[in-house]
Amino acid sequence: MSGAADSLPSPVNARPRRSAAWLHEPLLVGILLLILAACLVLVGLKPAPYVVNTIGQLAVFAILAVSLDLIWGYLGILSLGHGLFFAIGGYVCAMHLLSHAFSATGVAPDFVQFMGWKTLPAYWAGLTNAPYALFLAMALSGAVAFVFGFASFRSRVNGVYFSIISQALVYVAMLLMFRNDTGLGGNNGMTGFPLLFGYPMGSAAVTTGLALASLGALAAVLVGTRALVAGRIGRRMLACRDDETRLRTLGYGTTRLKLGIWCLSAMIAALAGVLYVPQVGIINPRVLAPDLSIEIAVWVAIGGMGRLGGAVIGAVAVNALKFWLSAAMPEAWPFILSGLVLVVVLALPNGLLDFASLRTKPTWLRNGGGR
Amino acid sequence: MAELPQPVSFLVRGVRVALALILMVSASMAQAAADPIDRSALARAVCSDGAGLARGADDVVRSAATASADDLAFSGSILRALLDRRLACVGDTSVLLDRPGGSEGRDAATGATRSAAGARSPVLGLRQRGLVETGAGVVALLTGASTAQRSAGLATLERRAAAVPEADTILERARAAETDAVLRAAIVQAMQAAALNAPEPARRRAAIGAIADAPSSAARSRLASLRTDPAYAADPAFKAALDAGIARVERAVTIGDGLALSYNALSFASILFMAAVGLAIIFGLMGVINLAQGELIMVGAYAAYGVQEAFRMVAPGLIDLYLVAAIPVAFLASAGVGIVVEALILRHLYRRPLMSLLATWAVSLFLINLVRVVFGSQNLQFGMPSYVSGGVPLYADFIVTWNRLFAIAFAAVTLAATLLILKRTPLGLDIRAVTQNRDMAGALGIRTRRVDRLAFGFGSGLAGLAGVALCPIYSVNPGMGATFIVDSFMVVVLGGVGTVVGTVVAALGIGGANVLIEPFYGAVAAKVIVLVGIIVFLQRRPEGLFVARRRR
Repeated sequence: MSGAADSLPSPVNARPRRSAAWLHEPLLVGILLLILAACLVLVGLKPAPYVVNTIGQLAVFAILAVSLDLIWGYLGILSLGHGLFFAIGGYVCAMHLLSHAFSATGVAPDFVQFMGWKTLPAYWAGLTNAPYALFLAMALSGAVAFVFGFASFRSRVNGVYFSIISQALVYVAMLLMFRNDTGLGGNNGMTGFPLLFGYPMGSAAVTTGLALASLGALAAVLVGTRALVAGRIGRRMLACRDDETRLRTLGYGTTRLKLGIWCLSAMIAALAGVLYVPQVGIINPRVLAPDLSIEIAVWVAIGGMGRLGGAVIGAVAVNALKFWLSAAMPEAWPFILSGLVLVVVLALPNGLLDFASLRTKPTWLRNGGGR
Repeated sequence: MAELPQPVSFLVRGVRVALALILMVSASMAQAAADPIDRSALARAVCSDGAGLARGADDVVRSAATASADDLAFSGSILRALLDRRLACVGDTSVLLDRPGGSEGRDAATGATRSAAGARSPVLGLRQRGLVETGAGVVALLTGASTAQRSAGLATLERRAAAVPEADTILERARAAETDAVLRAAIVQAMQAAALNAPEPARRRAAIGAIADAPSSAARSRLASLRTDPAYAADPAFKAALDAGIARVERAVTIGDGLALSYNALSFASILFMAAVGLAIIFGLMGVINLAQGELIMVGAYAAYGVQEAFRMVAPGLIDLYLVAAIPVAFLASAGVGIVVEALILRHLYRRPLMSLLATWAVSLFLINLVRVVFGSQNLQFGMPSYVSGGVPLYADFIVTWNRLFAIAFAAVTLAATLLILKRTPLGLDIRAVTQNRDMAGALGIRTRRVDRLAFGFGSGLAGLAGVALCPIYSVNPGMGATFIVDSFMVVVLGGVGTVVGTVVAALGIGGANVLIEPFYGAVAAKVIVLVGIIVFLQRRPEGLFVARRRR
């Protein structure tokens, strides 16, 4: 290949044409079976609480990764601001937990006392009700995504442009949440949740229940998104990813498609946030740090983007490694992570799934579409 | 009178003499201030009873305006010794000891060495102590050897102005003799304060005018505090003068604040421009968003630190020049890092911009942690050369600080150099050609890969320069890149990729908006407003302000 042709900037064909991802059904089925096995282990063997908690958190991260893979792997839109939707879910959940505790115990949350207020701010009204809180988390996340997505997609802000604007969005949100007068805990965030649905937080039953709920949610999200991408919408998503101009020329509107999937992705991320907060017991503006949002993309890239199973594998592998290494050798973890990213980006364009693909020879490789 | 009888004439003469005597005596009493200080009397007075001591100290204060410097120094040494408990009384004369409780000292009046055996220490009552302190302060203001001593003297004088009858004359004398500009300004201020509190209305009004002539927020609050003065309600002339003075000062302070704000905005925009221009060139050329740009800024700042340390070791006398010497070093350091990154990583990723984004993020993570491990995560200590510390008060509260001026000038020079390189050099021609049409440029024989690498090095080097420009203003630590990266991305998006002019305009716009909104709505609101503004703007012009001409 000549140098010039090789380095032709052609973002449209940046990824190889890959025949439908739904052919990788065995991978998804395997992951679902693993989830089932994990549930059985949790119920039957009753492992140590921190193991249960770790499994639950990994499931949450997997949901988050799937939400990003849906928009990045299938639509080619890289969001570097998905931490925002995760945080929306987390904050609403924390608000629910605190107002639930407030109404049960009568002790005002720390930040309310800190700010010298008597009661919770008005917009906390009704959050004691769990279904309403869940609805609010989803609706809020979807609404924010809609406004931002509408403004961006309508004016055809694409590619890296979209990425860095979404990064600015999450950065601004972080600055906003660092303020103490928002009624959302300021820089300390919100913590100290004593109760979940009236049960004491931290008890074995609650921990196991949360982990099971996370695993269940992950399974549901996987099945749901797979049904979506396997259908007509999924085909259109891939077409839009590979050549949006051509799809539009053929008469398909892409803005609505992108907007819809974008909002769905944001809502899945919010669901992950809702499940995350009771498991770690704290939410603070640090989840809005741009670095965390980039890390989500890193999980997906490492696991293999464009396949839902790949996102799950990436999120679980990276975070399991992180849990282990940031305790064992915290100094080395950033170096390992950056090295991992570089290796994956340079040598394994499809992430860890490349190892598997080498044996099974998927369609896209046989077709000579590799890079 | 000639006809008057002799005895009468004698009588008259006698009366005259008596009158003259009385006049002389009274004049000598009144003129005591003008006379040289009676050194031996003072030396005795401090060892007499409390009343004598008080009188002695008071005499010093009264004669301070006219007494000779020698006399002042003499009485100052006695009063100082009294306060430091280094003064002992042997009989009715005083002895200055070297240290409190010493056994030997100099006779205060004669200077001869005397034993202090059996000496007693004079007791200072509350009133005496006050007078002695005042006297020592006045003397320190007039004759103190160091600026610190003189300003301490001024502070004492201001605190005890009521006990100093000729404060004006003393201050005027001190002002005339003062060599330090800051202290002289403080003395002038003290004189104005004294004039403001003077009993004569005309003098007060003149003082108000004088304060309003040098407007500042301090002057404003001083004038505003006079509104509670009884004369404000009672004297219409005073009220008018004060209101006019306050209005004048307020207008000037508003203008000065506006100037200061614009100046800050300009300096912030300069930093933003320097951080973003390399990014814009790289993005325009290769479509690569370099998330490690902030870390290249950090590399530049750390290179400047390295140059400083090298100067400190090799040539401590020339250390003021390190900031200048750091300019090429920082450029080369960042450019080197950039070229290595390009050669090892980005070269393989030009067809996958989103992956190159993740790769540069990994590089930035690596650089941050490498620097953290090697240098630690604390802020670096930069010694500020004289040309970037301090500033010149220009108008009201507006001070042109040298460090910000350095950044602005630096950015202007960088802009000129960048334009020169892009428009007038073969490399610049190649960069523009490849930016516009990579295939055609390649077909015409331009080695596009080499241009990519050099341009990436150039863009990275510009980030290094930004690091030098901001180290006199912002703190330098491993995480510093993150502070600028989001803003400089916004500059690139708003300005349009690959245009230097667009980068300048966008940097001015975003930097200006951030700094101008901040005082009214806060820093966070400024960022929110700017981001929303950019998103709204992109609705109309998705390609940014200035679109680089290119063909696909």
